[in-house]
Amino acid sequence: MSLIALALILLALFTFVAGQIFLKHAMESTTTSGHEKSGVVAQIGIGIFLMAVSFFITLGLLQRFDLSYLYPFQGLSSIIISLIAAVVLKEKLTWPLTIGVLLITAGVVLVSMS
Amino acid sequence: MRERPPGFGNPWLQLALSVLCVLASELLLKRGATEVADPNSAWSWTGINALESPLVWWAILLVVLSFASWLYVLKYVPLTIAFPLSRVVDVLVPISCWLFLGEIISIRRWCGIALVVIGLAVVAKPIARLEEKL
Repeated sequence: MSLIALALILLALFTFVAGQIFLKHAMESTTTSGHEKSGVVAQIGIGIFLMAVSFFITLGLLQRFDLSYLYPFQGLSSIIISLIAAVVLKEKLTWPLTIGVLLITAGVVLVSMS
Repeated sequence: MRERPPGFGNPWLQLALSVLCVLASELLLKRGATEVADPNSAWSWTGINALESPLVWWAILLVVLSFASWLYVLKYVPLTIAFPLSRVVDVLVPISCWLFLGEIISIRRWCGIALVVIGLAVVAKPIARLEEKL
């Protein structure tokens, strides 16, 4: 696997997760009072833009690689979410989470060597 | 959990539909993107040229449908249950690649896929809890 392919796979994952977080944040702020409407619209716009970027990068990758090769990498998005939660929400990384993260990483490494 | 409507509105049926839509969309995206692939084009990494394929548009429709039924599922089923169950798609995708797309999956790749699936099974519940907070 070339470095550019790895970079694009990771970029697709990060833009996807970032898009999710923007959408979630925007939707949640609509439930609290006193929010600014323009801010919410902007956040939804950013979220949709990021997810569109992720979608097209994935399409570009699908033209070059097997789906069974690319798909396991999506397991990494769970890891990215838990890391962001650990940093942003000051969550503690629990044992099941850490063990699962290691298993997923080992699996992705095996797939990427195949 | 709210009272669950019967028939087509059954959240478990909707969860299954959502998973099937995701699975079908992945396969259609792969077929469609490969169909119109032109690796020599300078823009090919952006994937935009894949929009030429009608299969890609069907896939987009399925993604929208799966999203709608997923939102419906979340109204009735807690994320800590729905999210781990939805990960069954991670098993279905490689199996379908092998069955329908004729991809040859080496032993090493099967082992990697298995490790990812086991890892996801272990993290699914903690992750779902995190996502409810996010």
